[in-house]
Amino acid sequence: MKRGLALTLALALLLVSGLGAATFAVAEDDFSQEVTIKWMLEGSNVTDDTAVIEAVNAYLKEKINAKLQVIWGTWGDFDQNVVNSINGGDDIDIYFTCSWTSNEYSAYANKGAYVRLDDPENNLLEQYAPGLFDVLPAVLADAAAVEGADGVGVYGIPGYKEVAQEYTWDINTPLLEELGYTVDDIGSYYDLGPILQKAKELKGADFYPLNIEGGVLVRIALNADVVDSNLVLVYPFDPEHPSQSGTEIKSLLELPEFAEFAKKTREYYLAGYINPVMATADAASSARTDAQLTGQYLIGTQVYSPGYDAQASQERGFQVTFKPTHKPIISTTSARGAMMAISTSSKNPERALAFLNLLNTDPTLFTLIAYGVEGVHYNLTDDGKVEFTDKRADYQPWRNGLGNITQLPLTVDDDPQIWEKFAEFNDAEGVPILGFALNQEPIQNEMAALANISKEYLDGLCVGVVDPDVVLPEAIEKLKANGIDKVVAEANAQVQAFLDAKGE
Amino acid sequence: MTAPQQVSRPSAGISSAQIKKLIALTSMALPGAIWLILLRYLPMFGIVIAFKDYRIYTKAPSLINNILHSKWVGFKNFTFLFTTTDSLRMIRNTVGFNLLWIVLIMAFAVFLAILLAELPRKRIAKTYQTMMFFPYFLSWVVVSYFVFAFLSPDKGLITVAQKNAGLMPTNWYNDPRPWPFILTIANLWKNTGYSSILYLATITGIDATQYEASRIDGANRWQQVRYVTLPHLRPMIMILLIMNLGKIINADFGLFYSVPMNSGRLFSVTQVIDTYVYRALINTGNVGMSTAAGLFQNVVGFVFLMGSNAIVRKVDPENSLF
Amino acid sequence: MQHSIRRYGKNVKLSGLSFGAEAAFHLILGLFSIACVVPFIFVIIISFSAESSLRTVGFSFMPNLWSVESYQYVFRWGDQLWRSYFNSFFITAAGTVISVLICILYSYSLFRRDFKLRKFFTFLSFITMMFGGGLVPTYMVCKNILGLNDNYAAMIVPLLVSPFLFIVMRTFFSSTVPEALIESAAIDGSGEYRTLFQIIVPISKPGIATVALLNALAYWNEWFIAMLYIRSAKYIPLQYLLMKMQNQVDFLAKNSALIGAEAANIVASTPKENLRMALVVFIVAPIACAYPFFQRYIVSGLTIGSVKG
Repeated sequence: MKRGLALTLALALLLVSGLGAATFAVAEDDFSQEVTIKWMLEGSNVTDDTAVIEAVNAYLKEKINAKLQVIWGTWGDFDQNVVNSINGGDDIDIYFTCSWTSNEYSAYANKGAYVRLDDPENNLLEQYAPGLFDVLPAVLADAAAVEGADGVGVYGIPGYKEVAQEYTWDINTPLLEELGYTVDDIGSYYDLGPILQKAKELKGADFYPLNIEGGVLVRIALNADVVDSNLVLVYPFDPEHPSQSGTEIKSLLELPEFAEFAKKTREYYLAGYINPVMATADAASSARTDAQLTGQYLIGTQVYSPGYDAQASQERGFQVTFKPTHKPIISTTSARGAMMAISTSSKNPERALAFLNLLNTDPTLFTLIAYGVEGVHYNLTDDGKVEFTDKRADYQPWRNGLGNITQLPLTVDDDPQIWEKFAEFNDAEGVPILGFALNQEPIQNEMAALANISKEYLDGLCVGVVDPDVVLPEAIEKLKANGIDKVVAEANAQVQAFLDAKGE
Repeated sequence: MTAPQQVSRPSAGISSAQIKKLIALTSMALPGAIWLILLRYLPMFGIVIAFKDYRIYTKAPSLINNILHSKWVGFKNFTFLFTTTDSLRMIRNTVGFNLLWIVLIMAFAVFLAILLAELPRKRIAKTYQTMMFFPYFLSWVVVSYFVFAFLSPDKGLITVAQKNAGLMPTNWYNDPRPWPFILTIANLWKNTGYSSILYLATITGIDATQYEASRIDGANRWQQVRYVTLPHLRPMIMILLIMNLGKIINADFGLFYSVPMNSGRLFSVTQVIDTYVYRALINTGNVGMSTAAGLFQNVVGFVFLMGSNAIVRKVDPENSLF
Repeated sequence: MQHSIRRYGKNVKLSGLSFGAEAAFHLILGLFSIACVVPFIFVIIISFSAESSLRTVGFSFMPNLWSVESYQYVFRWGDQLWRSYFNSFFITAAGTVISVLICILYSYSLFRRDFKLRKFFTFLSFITMMFGGGLVPTYMVCKNILGLNDNYAAMIVPLLVSPFLFIVMRTFFSSTVPEALIESAAIDGSGEYRTLFQIIVPISKPGIATVALLNALAYWNEWFIAMLYIRSAKYIPLQYLLMKMQNQVDFLAKNSALIGAEAANIVASTPKENLRMALVVFIVAPIACAYPFFQRYIVSGLTIGSVKG
């Protein structure tokens, strides 16, 4: 038996040492050797990429002597898999990363998962992607700087999609007009009562005028931005002058404004304005979509982007108006909405960066990856617009998660002025703490507990199914007992340090 | 295979036939053993992650290098399980439900097995068995859809019935009070049939002469069950008991996460160690903390299993697991 | 077998149940049995309900409009659905055959009292029931050392061995196979493998069927392994197809506000409830059809397994 164990151990060690084989990156790359770039993406709906990859490979061979292999991560699964891949040292070259997935950009740059691109020692950016940041808005470059394992620097290439963020009411205009109101009458959340009441009276008991997502509603009502994705902490901003917002991070449930919001929401809920199913997040999305498509709502909550009104109106078959509740803001969340980072386990970081450079500056390549092959996945109309074919169903990457989308040709459904509107929208004010991301490491025990507490109370309070007079004090007491004060203090100390460093 | 016959040497104590047998039997165990070593033992080096501040070694990232170059932090990764005010609640839910269900499923399954065995018409008994066994084969995700069909806040069968009867419908996924019962029913529904068939198998294996003897002694139906059937079920009960106690601190994740639709309002009833850890780490994917939580559960389970086995061995030596 | 026949034979009938007791037994067993299958029937009905009906009367045993629209939607995936169906069947069949073989071999060696390494191998499998190395190390070993990456093997190999089933199978052997049988085979000059496959296996069919069924179910219901190791759509099994939707719904419920502009489109394209119910029917139907056949063996298998002496 002893010998058996010894043998087992020896065998194990042998295999383990194989597992530990070091991979050192070469310092220079003259592109003479063909390499394969592995790329892991989020949110894809791709079942057949053969035609696209073939075309991409032919193109890349010529440009950077490389092949592409894409791992089409899907919503939900990407989060699980990417962490295993990174922690285990998989041979992926480029990872999708951002402010809201489990491989959160600043946290994993800090853990050593990503290559620093502007490292003064080898300055990869200058060598392999010289013009890249010129095509991107400056604010994106600023927001990409983060404190990583190799000092403060750029660890990822920001994707150029909508840079600003704006919450908005989603209004069923024909119904609103039928009730005798106009879009101008929709203002503060707290004043919606009479309009909702009228709608409820007109349409009956089974009609729920407020078609909301609790987590968005609370941000609309409080003008607050996300700090951690469980909404334990929020950053309240100034809705009219975002750049003049404060610099303080706060505990959401403890805000006096939150108590007021919860009370109002409870009132609306009891009056029958909100469908009780909204409190069960996992079951709510289907009901919400149903209500949108059938027009069985008056006011909903959305995140705005240019051109979305026209698209929504067309999809739902009635006029939908979006009425933003604040000026668009640029925050860390929005500016790091979609990025690409090169893994430290990549054997060819230079080539990977050259690929990212090409992706963001070469419309041919980007269109190919985002929309597929012309003649297969889409056809061009006479005026040069993209019209998708049935084949598109097999190949739908998440376009906005890929890179610089301003390179794309218009599709037949696009607003012809889309890119002008887009530029205008993105020309928004940044908040003072733009670029700040919370480092959860010093407070990880507290955050583990608070994430659970937030999940326990927030869904119910934001939809009104629970009585805030009873539940809110209970929630706050629990937050206190689990170290919310320490977390808020730590977060604000980090903000201060961030601002000091930025001021220098 | 055609090795020349050797004369066994008494001094060595092993004959060539015995060696051949040893080799043959070892080779039979080998495929399973190799699998166990590769897929179970080899990854066990990863347990040290529980005691490390796991970071990626940027110079040459690989699992081994990452582990080797990460700092030791002692038991720091374990503390998040105990520093929250919810610790007691989640341990109570985990252990409490497990204990309750071990007893309930056992009682219910034994009861059904006895009923099945007593039924004179075997064909119907078989049909019952077939139907009772069915839920065991479904995953919790599938079961969560079944439950949702009844309890959905807007379309559920029960909710709609309440509405039609003019009652205020219960918002099932936001009211923790009925959930101890819902979870219990769901678990009994899924697992009782399987257990009862294990017990039934044992009952049908009881030597019929024992029943005849007891009948000659004047035992009635109930006394036969009491003095013949139940004692024979004891070994099976003991083995299942020990095995279940070994898992007392592991909750059935799907039952506590999918079936209540991950609804926050129900945490007072549905928060168990596994779901807590999942929700705490889903956003950060902290490997050190998740490994620590798993190790904690393994160690506690191991202690419980050895402990309950030792107790059983003392009071009932024949029926212990090993 | 002898015993059970006698037990169920005339002796029992003589002391038969009173009519009232029998009726009560049927009532209890019948109700429970029906409760076990009714939810599935309910889900079938929902999957055949028209969406308009769901909107007006909710989930109901009597929808006011029947429809096959959710199945039409499922069929519109066409290739992916059938490919996943094929994958599930293939993985289940191949995995079951190999795992049963490994199980028979391993547990037979555990069952042989005269096997010198018996204790060692028992210990080897027992420890793994209690301790594991965690997700990331297992993932790395499977992927990088064993090459379980985006292929059928990746879904078959990780489930090949179950120490619990080793115990079950060993118990079958020790309760059905008289040691004298092995001894006499050895005296006749039969090799160990020949003894096992020509003498032991044929009389252990019920036990093997039990283990096969449990293995087959484990393979059929598996999705986590597929999520870890499968990247391209062509290998996705059916169960994982459902889980992917579930994961997507969960994820979007939590993060849709952070994804940005396209989120609403993505959420809108998420499959609705009745569609997911239809998929559940697709997953459960093969189990419902196949397992009564297995069950004949499993019950007698368990029965024989527990007969003493």
